[in-house]
Amino acid sequence: MQVAELEVHNKSGLHARPAATFVKTAAGFRSSVSVENLTRGAAAANAKSLLAVLGCGVEMGHRIRVSAEGEDEEAAIAALRTLAEGGFGEAVAG
Amino acid sequence: MGTRIVGRPGAAGVAVGPVWRYLAGGVGETRPSPASGTGPGDAAAAVRAAAEEAARQLEALAGRVRDLGRADEADIFEAQAMMATDPELVDAAADRAQAGEEPVSAVRAAAAAAAATLAALPDELLAARAADVRDVGERIVRILLGEDVALPEVPSVAIADDLPPSVAAEIPPGLLLGVALEGGSITAHAVILARSFGIPAIVGAPGLVVAARAATIVAVDGATGEIVFDPGPTEAADFAARADALSESRLVAAALRDRPCATADGERVVLLANIGSPADAPRALEARAEGAGLFRTEFLFMRRQTAPTEAEQVAAYRAVFEAFGPDRPVVVRLADIGGDKALPYLNLPAEANPFLGVRAIRLAGAGSRELLLTQLRAVWRAAGLAGVTPHVMAPMVATLADAQLLLDLRDEAREGAATAAAAVGSIPEKMVTGVMVEIPSAALLAPELARMVDFFSIGTNDLTQYTMAADRGNPALASLQDALHPAVLRLIRLVVAGADQAGIPVAVCGELAGDPAGALVLVALGVDELSADAGSLDGVRAAIAVVTRNELADLAERALAANDADAVRAMAGELLGAQVR
Repeated sequence: MQVAELEVHNKSGLHARPAATFVKTAAGFRSSVSVENLTRGAAAANAKSLLAVLGCGVEMGHRIRVSAEGEDEEAAIAALRTLAEGGFGEAVAG
Repeated sequence: MGTRIVGRPGAAGVAVGPVWRYLAGGVGETRPSPASGTGPGDAAAAVRAAAEEAARQLEALAGRVRDLGRADEADIFEAQAMMATDPELVDAAADRAQAGEEPVSAVRAAAAAAAATLAALPDELLAARAADVRDVGERIVRILLGEDVALPEVPSVAIADDLPPSVAAEIPPGLLLGVALEGGSITAHAVILARSFGIPAIVGAPGLVVAARAATIVAVDGATGEIVFDPGPTEAADFAARADALSESRLVAAALRDRPCATADGERVVLLANIGSPADAPRALEARAEGAGLFRTEFLFMRRQTAPTEAEQVAAYRAVFEAFGPDRPVVVRLADIGGDKALPYLNLPAEANPFLGVRAIRLAGAGSRELLLTQLRAVWRAAGLAGVTPHVMAPMVATLADAQLLLDLRDEAREGAATAAAAVGSIPEKMVTGVMVEIPSAALLAPELARMVDFFSIGTNDLTQYTMAADRGNPALASLQDALHPAVLRLIRLVVAGADQAGIPVAVCGELAGDPAGALVLVALGVDELSADAGSLDGVRAAIAVVTRNELADLAERALAANDADAVRAMAGELLGAQVR
């Protein structure tokens, strides 16, 4: 299993389009992928479900833990890390 | 020769195009439920198949809306498409169906559970997503029941008995050439939508839906109410000529935009736009509105489990105030909400007649005083942040006590806003405060009310409904819903007289203000400001520009003495026609 802890630093957190981008990316891998909001302290959720990801209530400044397990787990984590660092395609608050 | 039907004019415009029929759920040509009479395994499969179909529809919709340049709406439909195949929703629904639950209720229960999870989060934005999930659930249900609404594939004219807001709002504007309804009234949502898009709308057209059954092409003229199915070559040429003439007159009207709205002999009339959300501001400014005479704030209050926070409201109002700037006043209408929409945070008992019940300013006496105070505090703060003078008006004012309540709430809200430490020094001194005149009692009390407030704004739709005791949504009462009825006009004259004594301005923000003939009558009666949908302003400006004060004085006298609304409309039309020629 591959795990990464990431900070979400784009304006709208994991809402709206960033959440959709996150879920579409996770769904592109065969591994099972989960996401956990460390700041809010909620249970891990299925990262391939938009409803589950929205339900994590991830806002700007929150820390999340992303875990992947399966044949392409490393690639999945790498892709999600790049995405988070780029603000999920949304402008990053300065 | 094609089949010809004549209905009531709803919105001006001419269109010729393919027929797109909308049939409401349960009526006529719906397919039988594919899941009926099958086992639980089949039911679960039916749920999954319906969900897949919903996702396909939503993706196609997102693509069409994106092609029309409406990226924000496309994002919402795309998110809904993802929800429609989301394991959290679909697995839950399929499991319930597998366990023997009826498929429709399985889908609704799963969607409600997913929505509740989102709504329970502290984040306000997720309340809207919760509504989106429920909406996705309803779409899956429609597909399961075979009631699925297949949206037009090509630009078409919508033919229906009635077009509910949920369906009308879903058709991308570029795909809607016009609307013709067998039922409906001229204040129906679809008609208002048509006016804002500048496309024709016709209501109350008997035999329309049956006549449309065998037709492929339809021609409509929203100004005359004419509908012709499968027009012959002569008729088609006639409609094409009308469309050309209309687009030419619209160009002429648009050319007047850079001149202030005034009569031919120079009497100024202030032209304002009605807006329903910050997104409406650009269209209003493009149409050269001198401000917003009606900023409806219900969008903040609908489709959610908890009341909007003060901060959320400040952000919305500030965005509008900044878009219009300090020289174009924006009149915020306090939320016109009540028992007709079940808003869980209001805690209102069900009412037999919610439009005659506890709503708007009356909420203050029914346990929701804080709701109104919060809204007023948000307006004070937003105006301070945007550097503008706030303007506010209250709907449903019936008595002097209601007006006093508004003034008291306003002052209390200012104190609250000013004492919030962070805001000190940025709260404006004054809030321009008005009341809406839409209840006949307020019109009769105009002289006294005018001494208390800074302006009046007449809501002609409700003033007509309450004067004529005719539900504005009931198509059977269409003849009682015309605001040009002399009875309504006499009340408007009373309002203007009361306002003149006290030296305060009178605005009209109902549909009548956006109708060129109606606008002439209103200006004739002494109304100072007209506020209408941005799409109507060109036509109103052009109509006012061709008449003189003397002609309007004569029109006022004859209109007040007329027998009915049709006579008044003919008089105003005659004045317009004579001047155009």
